Amino acid sequence: MANIPIWPGSSSFFPGDTPFGFYDYDSDFQTDADKVAKFCAQRLGWPIENVELQDVNFYTAFEEAITTYGNELYAYQVRENMLNLEGLPITTPFLNNTQITPNLGNVIRVSEQYGAEAGVGGNVNWYSGSVILTGSVQDYDLDVWAQQNGISGSNLEVKRVFYQGVPASATYYYGGGVGLGAGWGNFFGALGGVAGASYGNNFLVTPLSYNVAAIQEMELAEDILMSAYSFEIINNKLRIYPVPTYGDNGTNYWFQYLLKDERLADSLASGSGDLGAGLVTNVSNVPYTNPNYNQINSIGRAWIFEYTLALCKEILGYVRNKYSVIPIPGAEVTLNGNTLTESAQTNKDALITRLREYFDQTSRQSMLERRSLEADFSQNELNKTPMTIFIG
Amino acid sequence: MALFGQSRDISMFRYINRELMGNIMSQQCAFFKIILNQTNFNMYGEAAEEKYYDGPILLYSVIENPTEEWSTDDLGVNFNLKPTFKFLRDDLLDKLQDFNEDTIYGANLVPQVGDIIYYQTSYFEVTSTNANQFFVGKNPDYPNSPQPSNPAGATYPLPEPLWNPGLEEFGWNQSIICNTTYVPADKVGITLERM
Repeated sequence: MANIPIWPGSSSFFPGDTPFGFYDYDSDFQTDADKVAKFCAQRLGWPIENVELQDVNFYTAFEEAITTYGNELYAYQVRENMLNLEGLPITTPFLNNTQITPNLGNVIRVSEQYGAEAGVGGNVNWYSGSVILTGSVQDYDLDVWAQQNGISGSNLEVKRVFYQGVPASATYYYGGGVGLGAGWGNFFGALGGVAGASYGNNFLVTPLSYNVAAIQEMELAEDILMSAYSFEIINNKLRIYPVPTYGDNGTNYWFQYLLKDERLADSLASGSGDLGAGLVTNVSNVPYTNPNYNQINSIGRAWIFEYTLALCKEILGYVRNKYSVIPIPGAEVTLNGNTLTESAQTNKDALITRLREYFDQTSRQSMLERRSLEADFSQNELNKTPMTIFIG
Repeated sequence: MALFGQSRDISMFRYINRELMGNIMSQQCAFFKIILNQTNFNMYGEAAEEKYYDGPILLYSVIENPTEEWSTDDLGVNFNLKPTFKFLRDDLLDKLQDFNEDTIYGANLVPQVGDIIYYQTSYFEVTSTNANQFFVGKNPDYPNSPQPSNPAGATYPLPEPLWNPGLEEFGWNQSIICNTTYVPADKVGITLERM
């Protein structure tokens, strides 16, 4: 078999020479491909030594280096902006060259869960229901109620029970004086209601402190002297206090609840078709594509050249390492494949680390920290300026 | 089926061998190939008159050069030196080999006993040759082909390939090693016969 050609010292790139062809028709890539091949070959010892690689090996490494650069760059962008990007339609045009302004959309979406539980907003429906009280019956099984109303008992979660004692003021309005020495018509200066706004016409002008003291006295009297209106609910078994009287018979006892499966379902966003389809749901479907090589600046390209070299070194190491010892006439010789692969791995790790640190230093957080520090330092500097005294 | 040592690997080995022997070690010798049909022999198979040689042909070689030996007897001092010249066999094949096309290699000679090697102002006569260094133990010149196949009309044919086809693409007959002994220049008497 003929000799497999190795690097002859020059090359000529044609579209199709790379495995994926991501950048084959980029004019800058076409120009740089041969230069990079020459750069790498000469860094690997050509023309003093043979470099057992072909031009396509160099082009492959070059393409991979650009893709790796783009991957690191856009992965950083995704990390930086995921909170702003989640939920976008995946048909959004590629974000490579889009300036992303932070927004609170996803923060609010994430916070809706708390509102749902607190009953002050959120994204889960609350429903109302009622059980009919029976005199002298204290316990009511709401799971049974749920089944009677076509709801799976285990799906019910009671959020609020409307069972409060009568406000002290109202009670007292009907009850009678407690230590204030007056009849029911005199409190708050009227025949009814709180704060004097009622159907009464006779107002007694009293200091506010007097009213506050009266309210406190009534509340205390309710707590000590009257039956406690309360309830407990354990595993959807409702127990109410005090024990309903026969007078309560037939009264509706209202509560609010939500359905657990609705809470789960409402936490899933759906696009068209399957749940989440069509929306940016994770880092894998954020709309980024490979970078445009001709838009990468010299800083980025320098990194790409070095990474290409590390990849070529790795490939050459693999080539020379397939047989760690190869024969020569009457003897054997050990090639430097191990050294090359180890060195290449070290170079790659260092380059990736350097790139990530560089990106981290330009993150939004880092920039704001830097700006804050600059402002502090500037202020300190200005504080050292002597204050001028103007004499008019 | 063989997997390792295919011609693609051998191609790289050839590059490395030639780089190593040519650019790094750079040991060279001149090879004089005896022309048998011009050399007259006596009834004992010895050269009766002059010997004729082709060459010299400059070759890269891995040369193992032992220490010279001097032995003294009643007749005087005997000088003895027996270097070994190790050639890359592909260098000795002809130019028609595709791996020798467009290269400086392709000497087209077969080292044999009686050939003369000139090395560092001394002549050495080939006393034996050795060509049994095979990579991965295979000599592609003996691929044992054609491989056996199912007899025509076999009732229960075995799945083919039956044995190990394509062995001509595997292995490498790598070197020719020439063991030599020192020959005094006056005994060889090589002179330039034609310009």
